[in-house]
Amino acid sequence: MTAKRILVVDNEQYIQEIAEICLKTVAGWHVLLASSGEECLRRAATEQPDAILLDVMMPDMDGITTFQKLQENSATRTIPVILLTAKIQSSDRRRYAQMGLTAAIAKPFDPLNLAIEVATALGWTLEQ
Amino acid sequence: MKILVVEDDKLTAEALVVILTHQNYTVETAADGEMGWQLIEAFAYDLILLDVTLPKLDGMKLCQRVRSHGYQMPILLLTAHDSSHEKAMGLDAGADDYVVKPFDPEELTARIRALLRRNQVTSQLVLEWGDLQLDPRSCEVSYGDNPLSLTAKEYSLLELFLRNSCRVFSCGALLENLWSFEEIPSDEAVRTHIKGLRQKLKMGGAPPDLIETVYGIGYRLKQKEGGKKQKETRRNQREGGDSLAGVGDAAQRQTLILISKVWQRSQERVSEQVGVLEQAVDALRRQELDQPLQLRAKQEAHTLAGALGTFGLSEGSQFARRIEQALQANKSLSQDEVTHLDNWVRSLRQEIDRLNRISQGESKTTRQDTTHTSIVANDAARPLLLIVDRDRSLAQKLIAAAAVWGFDAEVATNLMEARDKIFLESPDVVILDPAISEVTADSLSLLAELKKQVPPIPAVIFTAHNDLTERLEVARLGGRTCLQKSLPAEQVLEAVNQVLHQAEQTKTGIMVVDDDPTLLAIVRSLLEPWGIRVATLADPQQFWQVLEATSPDLLILDIEMPQISGIDLCQVVRNDAHWSGLPILFLTAHTDSDTVNQVFSVGADDFVSKPIVGPELVTRIINRLERIRLVHNLAEIDSLTGVATRQKATQDLDRFLRLAKRQQQPFCLAILELDLLRNSDCDKSIVEKDEMLRQIGQLLRRSFPIEDVVARWSEEEFIVGVYGMKKHEGIQQLNQLLETLRQQLDRVLNSIQPAAKSSNPVTWSAGVAQFPVDGETLSTLCQSAHTALYQAKRLARNRLES
Repeated sequence: MTAKRILVVDNEQYIQEIAEICLKTVAGWHVLLASSGEECLRRAATEQPDAILLDVMMPDMDGITTFQKLQENSATRTIPVILLTAKIQSSDRRRYAQMGLTAAIAKPFDPLNLAIEVATALGWTLEQ
Repeated sequence: MKILVVEDDKLTAEALVVILTHQNYTVETAADGEMGWQLIEAFAYDLILLDVTLPKLDGMKLCQRVRSHGYQMPILLLTAHDSSHEKAMGLDAGADDYVVKPFDPEELTARIRALLRRNQVTSQLVLEWGDLQLDPRSCEVSYGDNPLSLTAKEYSLLELFLRNSCRVFSCGALLENLWSFEEIPSDEAVRTHIKGLRQKLKMGGAPPDLIETVYGIGYRLKQKEGGKKQKETRRNQREGGDSLAGVGDAAQRQTLILISKVWQRSQERVSEQVGVLEQAVDALRRQELDQPLQLRAKQEAHTLAGALGTFGLSEGSQFARRIEQALQANKSLSQDEVTHLDNWVRSLRQEIDRLNRISQGESKTTRQDTTHTSIVANDAARPLLLIVDRDRSLAQKLIAAAAVWGFDAEVATNLMEARDKIFLESPDVVILDPAISEVTADSLSLLAELKKQVPPIPAVIFTAHNDLTERLEVARLGGRTCLQKSLPAEQVLEAVNQVLHQAEQTKTGIMVVDDDPTLLAIVRSLLEPWGIRVATLADPQQFWQVLEATSPDLLILDIEMPQISGIDLCQVVRNDAHWSGLPILFLTAHTDSDTVNQVFSVGADDFVSKPIVGPELVTRIINRLERIRLVHNLAEIDSLTGVATRQKATQDLDRFLRLAKRQQQPFCLAILELDLLRNSDCDKSIVEKDEMLRQIGQLLRRSFPIEDVVARWSEEEFIVGVYGMKKHEGIQQLNQLLETLRQQLDRVLNSIQPAAKSSNPVTWSAGVAQFPVDGETLSTLCQSAHTALYQAKRLARNRLES
């Protein structure tokens, strides 16, 4: 079985690095990185990751706008998207679900649990 | 599933391997009980198939030993006699089932399946951790016989820890697991409940650190001692792990180590972000904060709020969150609010500095090299010496001497401080005065803990007493050197330096060749925490140079590299006379059967697929290294006495003699023989004789530093070789030792056969010879020592001649 590929989008380089470590070391997934909404749209369309982990607050194009653009493109519409966000109220969860987001994970995330949370949200198993 | 077959009959063993392999089990065999025991200690098995009649250690005894060491895997006995008595004995010894020989393959495999199934579905009703018990059905908690009355929160905290006994929980993770959304808790609340729980556990008689703080990360159950835990964790990793428990200690450890490296790399960036906040506060105080700076500060605060918690700074995250909120646009701040903001920024800075200090301590064990092609054996960083001693003025002298020797040094004046420093700073070597605690046993337990560290931290004992029992105990616990307090500081440091150097040399080494520098960095960061020397090479052209320079125990090769492929390198190594036996592991992105076949056909030992999964790689490598060590040990260590074999000793003695010649140093050789062994064969059973030999071996091994030669020379003779020692010094030391030995053997003999003591006391004879006066080669020296030995025998027993 080939390893899952997951695209991590965050403008802060060290958060990219940590997310990559957490997903790689614990789950063994292949991690692709993007530093902006634009780059995310490009990489998602060309590389077709199995899922996208998307930060909400980014300069230029924020996470929600990026997600909406992913939805508008038929090439990227079906890729599940998980939002990384500072605050999650229960009202937010409802709103996100209505928008078609797969899940939202609160920042700061627990490094030892990130892969498990992502896997649970996507219905993946952590078995290699 | 992995099965160990312990069977001395070759044909039966082979038949079992065929039958079990056919059922897709991984099978390993051992031909006697001792060998079986060594394998059980070294590897994790899911089931053991055990013949009752075995040489060296019979099946019943092995079974008892396995159970008494806490191993829980099912054991299936193979008995030759269909007697109820033997079956009952087997079950009493801890076996789970038995099959009578000749066995029916179908019945055998069915019973194995049943046992494995039974083991899988064992559902633990009551959660236990040492003496602590929690019964989820009645929600009752007790420690030993004492019932504990816990609040609902304390109960659920404890249950969470017990159900995930290896996991470290950050405050955030505990909040997530145990508090509902509406409760709006804080980390402070978690700490309060943990404190309450700890107090109640303590009142119930539990150790105060049963729930231990893992600095900068969170809380977990204090891990039970012993090597078994590590093995179980490894097993979890191997099985992949699809649950929380599956992400065991090692994966967590690696993740955290890698994260701490990211922190080290990002310190500057984070500091810059906090700098922006400081600028903003400054501007606010002067009432000059413009919109671009406010916006930027708000963004930086947001990023920090979202990231610091992940690095283990949940309080830092909260400060950043408050700062972010205070900096909302279109909001003017009152004087009070600005003061608050200022305080938060200062606190944030402090938190970050604190983590920097911890992470600098950690970096000692996870040092990083910027050039990936260089050889890492020589670390540029200064080694850290921890001095555990109450005497501050003495410690100051040692610190001064340490600086001269190129060490950094720290002092701990009590055991608790010592443990903290060992955890936070990972010293490279420790000086310990056993008088640090009133109870010597407590001080020595620190020594045992150092030995268990990964990698083990070498220790030098610095004591005012010269007590032989203490010294023996120290040696048993892995203390390499005992020094007298009267020694000048300079000499103490010389010894410390030597000990550290030896520890470095005995580390296992691997060499990795891959053209991808990122992969090299990952492999290094994964393996170095396990005490493995890692040499990395990105340019295969330098292959031989680096191989010869680092002399690794294991080689890891990438298949696809520019210029030379890993397959070619592997073939070259296999054709080289000196290196042909080197274990080789391949890294490959291709796992199709053609590639796999090719890899094995050129002589690879194993392969790991890319992208590499940390825990899997670590497990494979450590298993491979353990296996190498085991094979070495089997050839070099005498299984009964635990000292070197004659073959190994001959090599070592020859080497020392060459060295002594070159350096013009004396070399002292002694041959010892217990007279009892020779004269009373008729009335001593083999078991008793073996016990005597074992005791002698152990005592000799403990009494001499690891670099001296101690070996079983023939059936009843031992040999000891000490470099740099003259005959009269050797005689003095041996006399003292042989007296201890005589007393110890008297006790053993007495316990085995009380009546024998008076009629047949233990006596010994020994002969000593010195290079070059008594001979210049190993054989002439041995002859000379033997002559002295026989003279001693003729004259009287309990004598030593030279």
